[in-house]
Amino acid sequence: MKNSIATRLIAVLSLCSALILGVGMWLDYRLSREEILERLKNESQETIRAAIIDMENWLDGVEGSTLFLARILEQRDYTHAGLEQMLKDIVENNADIYGSTIALNPVITDSPGGFAPYYFHRDGILTYADLASEEYAYQEQAWYLDAVNAGKPVWVEPYFDRGGGETLMTTFAVPVFRVSAQGERFLYAVVTADVPLDELRAYLRRLRLGDSGFATLLSRTGIILSSRNPDYIMRHYSDARSDTVDLPTWRDMLQSALAGQAVTRQLECPDIIGRCVIRMDTLQSTGWPVGMIYSEHEITAPLRRYQIRTAVIGLVTLLLMALAVYLVTRRLTRPLTVLVGASDNIARGKLDTALPTVRGEDEIAQLVMSFDAMRRDLKTYISDLETATASRSRLEGELAAAREIQMSLLPGGGEVLEQHEGYSLWARVRPAKSVGGDLYTYQQSGERLFIAVGDVSDKGVPAALFMAKATSLIQQLLAAGESPVTALAKLNNALEAGNDNCMFVTLFLGVVDLANLELEFASAGHTPPSLLRDARVGVLPQDDGPALGLAPGLEFPRNKVQLAFGDRLAIYTDGIDEAFNEAAQMFGPERFNRGFGDGAALPLEQAGAALFDAVDEHAGDTPQSDDITLLLLELPVQGDSRSTSRGVFPAGEGLAGRVITWLQTALEEQALAPDVSVETVLVAEEISTNIEKYGELPAGSEVLLDLSISASTLAMEFSDRGVAFDPLRDGKRSELGADIESAEIGGLGVHLITQLTDEQSYRHEGGGNILRVVKLLDTDSA
Amino acid sequence: MELNTTVTIDEDKSIARVALAGALNTDTAPGFDQELQRVITRGLNLTVLDMKDLDYISSAGLRVIFKAAKQTKAAGHRLAAANRKPHIDKVFEILKALPDMAVFANDQELDDYLESMQNKVRGD
Repeated sequence: MKNSIATRLIAVLSLCSALILGVGMWLDYRLSREEILERLKNESQETIRAAIIDMENWLDGVEGSTLFLARILEQRDYTHAGLEQMLKDIVENNADIYGSTIALNPVITDSPGGFAPYYFHRDGILTYADLASEEYAYQEQAWYLDAVNAGKPVWVEPYFDRGGGETLMTTFAVPVFRVSAQGERFLYAVVTADVPLDELRAYLRRLRLGDSGFATLLSRTGIILSSRNPDYIMRHYSDARSDTVDLPTWRDMLQSALAGQAVTRQLECPDIIGRCVIRMDTLQSTGWPVGMIYSEHEITAPLRRYQIRTAVIGLVTLLLMALAVYLVTRRLTRPLTVLVGASDNIARGKLDTALPTVRGEDEIAQLVMSFDAMRRDLKTYISDLETATASRSRLEGELAAAREIQMSLLPGGGEVLEQHEGYSLWARVRPAKSVGGDLYTYQQSGERLFIAVGDVSDKGVPAALFMAKATSLIQQLLAAGESPVTALAKLNNALEAGNDNCMFVTLFLGVVDLANLELEFASAGHTPPSLLRDARVGVLPQDDGPALGLAPGLEFPRNKVQLAFGDRLAIYTDGIDEAFNEAAQMFGPERFNRGFGDGAALPLEQAGAALFDAVDEHAGDTPQSDDITLLLLELPVQGDSRSTSRGVFPAGEGLAGRVITWLQTALEEQALAPDVSVETVLVAEEISTNIEKYGELPAGSEVLLDLSISASTLAMEFSDRGVAFDPLRDGKRSELGADIESAEIGGLGVHLITQLTDEQSYRHEGGGNILRVVKLLDTDSA
Repeated sequence: MELNTTVTIDEDKSIARVALAGALNTDTAPGFDQELQRVITRGLNLTVLDMKDLDYISSAGLRVIFKAAKQTKAAGHRLAAANRKPHIDKVFEILKALPDMAVFANDQELDDYLESMQNKVRGD
């Protein structure tokens, strides 16, 4: 499943969507991040500003009340009790004010210590204190002196108001001036309002940004009024060992803040995770620097939460999509998986394998339907093929049988080698298809050797049938001893009759007179034979007639050629000279004649086979286009000349004796081995005894003995006019052995004849018996 | 060709010796048959055909010999052939005509055979 479509789809689609989603989310994040950061920055600044404004409002309220009181005192005179009452009312009704005093200029008071009633909230209870005591000596206090020296309202540096508010505080002091009757301006009093540092700190504590953020408040001179660490309170900032910010930076920022310039710095703070931000501002009313220190990391926490949320959503989306892709592809590919199994089964020949059921008309469904159609077609096709194969093999079997029958029509069944004392003959036919239309045949009748080589038009079964008809007709005509010219004319008429298909035969028909070596032949449109004589090959000139079977009543010219001993004659069909090679070149008569001449030294059989090989070599891979037939006829060489003689013996008592007497005389002239002579005489005696005893020879008839002796053979041919009798077949051949004495006379002779000669043949011809025996001579001893 | 036969009879040993010279063929066979019949009818124990000078034999001649062999066997006597020439031998061979005949390649074998016959008679 590693390479399945589902796996690849999931991988590819997930990757693509992860990429797209990732890029989208990243862009969104980048944009949102800026926005969020901006918002967070604004928020923090807003928080600071709001806290500062709160504080300003509070301090403004304090200032306002104090300035109002000072205004009143500028213009109106009050008794001491009245001043006290007014002061008490103000402090009691103004929660923002911790404590307040009206410190009259001691110069204008009756008492030497001056007059300075002080009301303040101690633990929620309005408490009174007299600042005009000797211990306190308000006219020497910083708040009094600062205001007097400034001549205008001031915020006094923080201090511990011992003997007064008894707490760390800062004071808003307003000097009140009056104009005397003389028009002189003089200090009448200093009115104050106290603000405890605790309360300031409470305000600042509300100013928290994040867990580790804190605010700090300093006086104009750098005294720390509020800080995270209570130990630093009321100490100069340079004394406070700051673990967050180094001194120069601190001083730098403070100076900027004191100059009324809000500054923001981002620094590395050791006790704060990540970068810390310090924002330094000043309170408008007091001019005190307010510092905000907070962690950017904490401030941007919402951003990180947003990041995590986005990532989680992206991941979940991706997983859901992968799941969806998996489900969809699984649904799509399940039929494919089943189809794969089904096709394996079908390949194994199980054509009835069930295919997956599909709904709809999508591509998968179409595929399954096509597959099903293919399966059905395949089934039909295979069944058709089986039928076709069966009928084809039946046809092939019939053709093979037909071939055997056809070949059996030819002497030797398609290839023959005939070694005769007067000639040697070799022939071979090779059809282009199982059966063919080529034919050859030969027949010897006495000294006459008939030869026929023919080629029926076309090839295959029609040609074979026509060839069979032609062959049997030819064999009949040859047996009748017709001359070639007459035979061709008769054959033509016989073949023409009812030949509606216009099949035709080209035919060479010749007869060799073995006695005088004269070849008489007629050709029905057949390729002229080639003659090999003295190592030179020539084509026999011929007058040929038309092919056989096309028109009735044709005549064919007679050709006569005188052959000589040692001649070799080749008669062939056009399958040889018209054999094509891959380049569409014909083998041609020239090539044939050259090959024929080259094989002159070879025995006949090998020479013929070599010519077949030459044709095959020429054709190469080109299939044989036509039937091929070659017949070679060889006459013995001059030195092998025969001696022939004929004895004529009248029928009657003592025939065998007369035959033997003549034969012995005839044999004496030959230089034969003594045992050959004796055996020849014995055979002749047995044959002539048989003829004499059983031939029932007509009175006055004669028995002929043709004796023919060559270097290699000795032949005797007995002709008689007795009753037709083939001793080779019909002779009552006696059982040999113990009961031999009871054998019929002549029955033993046949044994001797067959044992002492190499060839025996019998034919009934012209109303007489012809028995021919041949004895091969041992050429070495001859 | 002619056939000359010389018949020598040894009554003591009960042996007839028939020497053939020339050709035993179709023509000469009937005459030889009569001559051989005469010898056989004498009822001697052994008739020896001496073929030392026989040049030729045909199936007709062989029939005569076979007939004689069968007759002597029926009478409890023997017919033997001696001194056959190779081509005569070949004819016998072809026709497988040897089972019931003693065959001697030369005179020595024949003499040895006769000797043993004598001893056998004496032993009886």
